[in-house]
Amino acid sequence: MSVQTSAIWDEAARWVARMDAETWSAEDERALQLWLAGDPRRRGALLEAEAAWLTLSGAESSEQQPSAELTRSPIKGLFERRQVVLGGSAALAASLAAGFLWIAAGTSYTTELGEVRRVPLSDGSIATVNTNSRIEVKLATDRRHVRITRGEAWFQVAKDPSRPFVVEAGRIRVQAVGTAFSVGRVDGGARILVTEGVVEAWAADADGHKVRLIAGQSAFVGDNAAIRVDTTAPSSVDRALAWRAGLIDLSGQTLAEAVSEFNRYNRRKLVLADQRLGGEQFDGVFQLSDPEGFAMAVRDSLSTPVDVSDPGRIVIGRTPE
Amino acid sequence: MPIGIDVSTEMRRRTASWVAREIMPHEPQIRAWLARKRIALDDIDEVVQEAYCRLALLDGVGHIENPKAYFFSIVRNLLIRRLKRQRIVPFEAIAEIDSYCDETPLPDRIAGGRMDLARVACFIAALPERCRNVVQLRKVEGWSQKRIAEHLGISEKAVEKQVWLGIKAIRLAWARWEEEGAAHVELAPRMTEARK
Repeated sequence: MSVQTSAIWDEAARWVARMDAETWSAEDERALQLWLAGDPRRRGALLEAEAAWLTLSGAESSEQQPSAELTRSPIKGLFERRQVVLGGSAALAASLAAGFLWIAAGTSYTTELGEVRRVPLSDGSIATVNTNSRIEVKLATDRRHVRITRGEAWFQVAKDPSRPFVVEAGRIRVQAVGTAFSVGRVDGGARILVTEGVVEAWAADADGHKVRLIAGQSAFVGDNAAIRVDTTAPSSVDRALAWRAGLIDLSGQTLAEAVSEFNRYNRRKLVLADQRLGGEQFDGVFQLSDPEGFAMAVRDSLSTPVDVSDPGRIVIGRTPE
Repeated sequence: MPIGIDVSTEMRRRTASWVAREIMPHEPQIRAWLARKRIALDDIDEVVQEAYCRLALLDGVGHIENPKAYFFSIVRNLLIRRLKRQRIVPFEAIAEIDSYCDETPLPDRIAGGRMDLARVACFIAALPERCRNVVQLRKVEGWSQKRIAEHLGISEKAVEKQVWLGIKAIRLAWARWEEEGAAHVELAPRMTEARK
C-alpha cells in the first residue's frame, strides 16, 4: 500500500469500528459525510472496510440489522461445536478455547507425483510441498505445528517468537522461530536443510540431544537420535532445493542418484539397464518434468543407447548380455 | 437501530454487504490472476482500490448478475488504462489482458462459501490475542462492544480500538492472502486439489 492510501484505510477502518459501537449519532454521521466529501477515494476505502468487517459475519443480507441473538451467523456454525453457558471469565476462556478447536483440527495438504505445491499459511509462513508428499498444519496460539506424514516440504517461517514453529517428521522434530528450512522423511529418519537463520533438530524423547543448524548446513537425524551434520559447501543446500523451481541441479551426483530423483517426480520411470553406468557422475541443471531430456543428455555424454519407445519408461544403456 | 440512518447510509450498507458476499471473497483470485500476468503489486493495489471506489458510487447493485465478472471487468479496464498511460509495458501484456473474456469466469478453485468461511476462521485465528478475543466475541458470539467492554473490564474505547485493528487486519488479509495454487509449479500434466 502506498503511504497515502494506507492512511485512508486506517481512517476508514476507524469509522467502521465506531459505527460498530452502537453509539453512532446523527453528529457522527454528519462528520462521516464531511470526511467522505474530502477525497473521492475515501468512499471506496470505507466500502472496503465495511465489507471486510462484514465478511466476518458471513455477510448476512442486511435488509435489517439482524439482532445477534436471533440470527445465527454462518461463521458461528464453524466455531460452534459445544454447549457453553457464557458467563464468568472461565466460560469466556472455554468459549475461546472451543472456538479454537475447529482451527486446531488442522488442514492437510497432499501432492501427487510430480506436483510441487506452494501453500501460504495463515500466520504468514509458506510451506512448499514437494512431490508425492503430505503435510498437516495446525496453527495454535502458543505454537505452530506441522507434521510431515510423507515426503518433503520447505518452510519459510514468519517470525513470531511467541509461537515456535515445530515440524514433526516421524520421530524427528525440527524447531524454528523465523527462518527457512526443509524437512524430508527418509528411511530411518529425516533430512534437514537450512536456507536461512537457525533451527534446532532432535529425535522425539531425545531432546537432550539436539543439533543446532545454521543457514547453509544440512543434517540427517536418525530415529535412533543419531545426528550427522553434513560438511558440504553451503551452495549444495540451494542445489538440493532446486525442486522448488521444478529443477534438479546435479553437481557430481551419480547417475543412479539422479535416476532415483527423477523417478520421484514422474510416472514415466527411468530405468538403468546397465548398472555399471550407475556410478558415473553428472553436472548440470535439468527440468524434473523432462526425464527424456535428461536421458538424451546421458546418451550424448556417455555414448550409450537410450530407448524411449515405451511410453511407460525410458531405458538407459544396453542390457548386459 | 442506530440513529441517523438515512437513505444514503442504508444504500451504503446494502452495497457493503453485497461486496462482502459477492466481491471480497474473490479478491485473492483476481489479484492472483493479475500477479500471474506480472502486474506489479503497486499497480494491483491501486486498480483494486479504484475499482472499489467505482462500486461505492453505484446507485444500486441489484442489476448486476455476475458480480465477480463485473468486478473483474472494472479492474481490467482500469488496469488497461493505467498501463497505457505508463507506456512502459510491452504491448503484448495489454493485449493479453485485453483479450480476457468476461464470460469465462476465473477458474473456480474455491468451493464456494464454505471455503470462504474456513478462510475467515484462519484470518481470525491469525489476529493478535487481544484483538482476536474481541473480534470473536463481537462477530462469532454477536456481543455488543459495550458488553465486551464490561465483560473484559476494559473501556468501550479500548474495545473499539481492537475492533479497528481487527478491521484493518482482515482487510489486509483479503488483499494479501495468496490464492492457493497461484504459485503452483506444474511439473506433471495431472494436478489434483487434494485437501481436506
